[in-house]
Amino acid sequence: MDRRNLLTRVFEPHPASPGTTRYTNAVLRTQDNEAVKFYDDLIRGKQCVVNFMYAECHGSCPAVTQTLKSIYRTLQDRMGKDLFFYSITIKPENDTPAALKHYATMRNADLPGWYFLTGDDYDLKTIRYRLFNMDHPGLDADEALHSGYLRIINDARNSWGMAQAFASNKNILNRISWHNPPKTYAENVIANRILQEKIMQDVKKFGYRRDV
Amino acid sequence: MPKKKAKDRQEETEGTISRRSVLKIGAAAGAATVVAPHMLGSSKALGFQDEVVAEPTVRCVNTTPATPSPAHRPFIDNFTAPFPAIPTNLVPAPQEFQNAGAGEAPRAPHQRWAQFNPEVEYEMKARAGLHKFHADFGDTYIWGFNGKYPAPTVLNVYGHPSLVRFHNNLPATTTTFGRNEITIHLHNGHHGSESDGFAGDFFPINFWKDNLYPNCYAGLDAFGGNGDPREKMGSFWFHDHRAEFTLNNNVLGLNGMFLVYDRTDPGHELATSGSLRLPGYYGVTDFPVILVDHRFCATDPVTGRTEMVNAAGGDKFIVNGKIQPKMTVRRRKYRFRFLNTGPTQTYDISLIKPDGSVGTMTVIATDANFLEHPIPVDAGANAGNSNSTTAPIVPGAIRVSVAERFDVIIDFAAFPAGSKLYLKENRAMFVGNPSPDPLPPGLAIENVLMQFNVVNREWWFPPDTPAIPSTLCTYPPLPATDNTWEWQFVLAGGRFRVKRPFDAGLGCVFDPDHSAHCILRGTTEEWLLNNNIASGWTHPVHIHFEEFRTLKRFVNGVEVPVPPLHSGRKDVSRLEAGQGALIKMQFRDYNGRYLIHCHNMAHEDNFMMVRWDICPDAASLAACLADQQVCQLEMEAKERYREEMA
Repeated sequence: MDRRNLLTRVFEPHPASPGTTRYTNAVLRTQDNEAVKFYDDLIRGKQCVVNFMYAECHGSCPAVTQTLKSIYRTLQDRMGKDLFFYSITIKPENDTPAALKHYATMRNADLPGWYFLTGDDYDLKTIRYRLFNMDHPGLDADEALHSGYLRIINDARNSWGMAQAFASNKNILNRISWHNPPKTYAENVIANRILQEKIMQDVKKFGYRRDV
Repeated sequence: MPKKKAKDRQEETEGTISRRSVLKIGAAAGAATVVAPHMLGSSKALGFQDEVVAEPTVRCVNTTPATPSPAHRPFIDNFTAPFPAIPTNLVPAPQEFQNAGAGEAPRAPHQRWAQFNPEVEYEMKARAGLHKFHADFGDTYIWGFNGKYPAPTVLNVYGHPSLVRFHNNLPATTTTFGRNEITIHLHNGHHGSESDGFAGDFFPINFWKDNLYPNCYAGLDAFGGNGDPREKMGSFWFHDHRAEFTLNNNVLGLNGMFLVYDRTDPGHELATSGSLRLPGYYGVTDFPVILVDHRFCATDPVTGRTEMVNAAGGDKFIVNGKIQPKMTVRRRKYRFRFLNTGPTQTYDISLIKPDGSVGTMTVIATDANFLEHPIPVDAGANAGNSNSTTAPIVPGAIRVSVAERFDVIIDFAAFPAGSKLYLKENRAMFVGNPSPDPLPPGLAIENVLMQFNVVNREWWFPPDTPAIPSTLCTYPPLPATDNTWEWQFVLAGGRFRVKRPFDAGLGCVFDPDHSAHCILRGTTEEWLLNNNIASGWTHPVHIHFEEFRTLKRFVNGVEVPVPPLHSGRKDVSRLEAGQGALIKMQFRDYNGRYLIHCHNMAHEDNFMMVRWDICPDAASLAACLADQQVCQLEMEAKERYREEMA
């Protein structure tokens, strides 16, 4: 056994993971100008939340960054260990690693486990298309439409979901939790007990389970 | 697979209609709920053995372009009905409140528990199993209820409430694309939300959940007792509804049929009071026809298994778990209950006679609801009744989109013994072998779903039923409308959404935590279902909880006459590109969270789905409205927050 494996966490992909055929293995650059392979280094065996943005965006992108920052705080214990945020630019011609570093720093978002990524325009378009458009080419021209969604991936579970970036933090956290590593039976028993109490309160107060 | 049991094989061949099985099922006629285990062979053969099934090797992956499935010889396997589910006595006994100590997943208490104490109990264990899709194939790894593909069929009777305990015994890890969390929806039962398989209520392995199916007619509040018998339904199906993984889990096999009988449709053909005397012996003259398509990898030389590709859609059409099966039919009427389990494709099914012309299929029910009057469909005098009215137009075909059901009667009496008829699908599959029998002119083997071989009726086979009655039922009048509402089915920028007209942009993704529409219990609403938002896609729109009536249909915003096969009660409104439907539906008898969604499973998994709530009173309604799902407002709030921070 490789000695490194004893020291660092090993990220194993799910056997049915589409791997590089879906995610590509394009080489991107982080805000610290490190070269990373999109699948091998960022997706493989990990849980992550991906959004698209660009530094000069004054519409929705800063709001999404704000949202991510807020849920980052809640998920802090996992961030950079088995959970990662990837904010990928859609305007690589402007967004150099330095520009992204500036963007992240300005917003106090230059945090462990949160990567702002740039790269070759073709690669980024391919990733965007693969992550958000399934099999619908040609519908993807509108840049403004990209920032409103979060793609949630857990490659260890071959899990693939989505959240609306403008939903409440609780809602986004719930959507991320759907892709968390499986809980043990004992953990589920505890979670069930908490949920059941909430259900019974709802039924008493509103006449049915509301889950709000 | 370790030692294939001789008994299994015996039971499999028994699926073809033998004299013994006819007598067996005939003896149970009219008492579908009391089918005893000994009448159907050993419980082991019916899937209760809990052996560990080895996961598929990971070599079976989808390739681009797709590799064809292995070839198969047509008309080798027999067409059979799935075995009936066998009632059991559950331990621990079902109860009104969640039984956390025994491992039940969280749920609200069963509504109307005292009124609908279950009389019949079933146990359905979602688990891995092996199934042979064709004699030329090895075993295929599947997920099925009690390990069976398709699941055992539940046969119930109105007025006799049943309860199904769904266990999640799926593997802790899998090499397939399935997700080992389940929530089981009965499509389209009139029951409490806690038994409805809400998409967000999935539970993990080693837990179970009781779904209470009251087998009541809608209209409990107004009519008392067991509701309004005019609301009778028949062909239900149950399936996993896990948000984001419905397609994956259904492709692996987590679905099955659920038939409910009453005195008009009693599950036998005898002249009993009120019976319509339709072909009615399950598995003898009355068959589910469960359609799905799969792609397979070549048989693994090491394991001997023929695994399914981890993907939606395929090049083999599966009919009740078999590829291109054959069926021996007697010269009499049969009832076939078409169900398309998808996961994504729409079927155009026609009956091809020996001379190559299109035969008549008489539709008696749409989505489990009897039509008031039967509607014959063929390519001649009844061509206008075909619902294949937009491209590709298939003369005399019945178009079945995902989750739609059409019950049809086919009369084989007009064909001499020795005739061969075929069910044809408009799309082609990969066969790889010629037909063993000469096909009717114009029919290619790639388009054949299954083959009928006509024989003379033996003395022991049930005699033909009388002519199909011209009136099957009478629908109750619809109450006045209390509210109108619109749902838009939007596919733009690669996103699938159900959008309210006032939602900003493309609308929201599915939010299980908030209701998108709050409804006061006991009211009636008209909903405009609108696929007029330039998508180019067909959306089979399904509404949970109760059947609706179609008041108007639209094409590109212009009203068109309601096509005959949309005229009955339904629970799936197929909206092809540009189409819309104005439907009317009642919200009564129960409270809770329900769903409206596109039943193309790729679309619903991408959140073309929203939640709506039935609230018991004004206070509950006000609370629901206060927390209603918002898209635009939240965005504005965040924008404001951003500006404040700047």
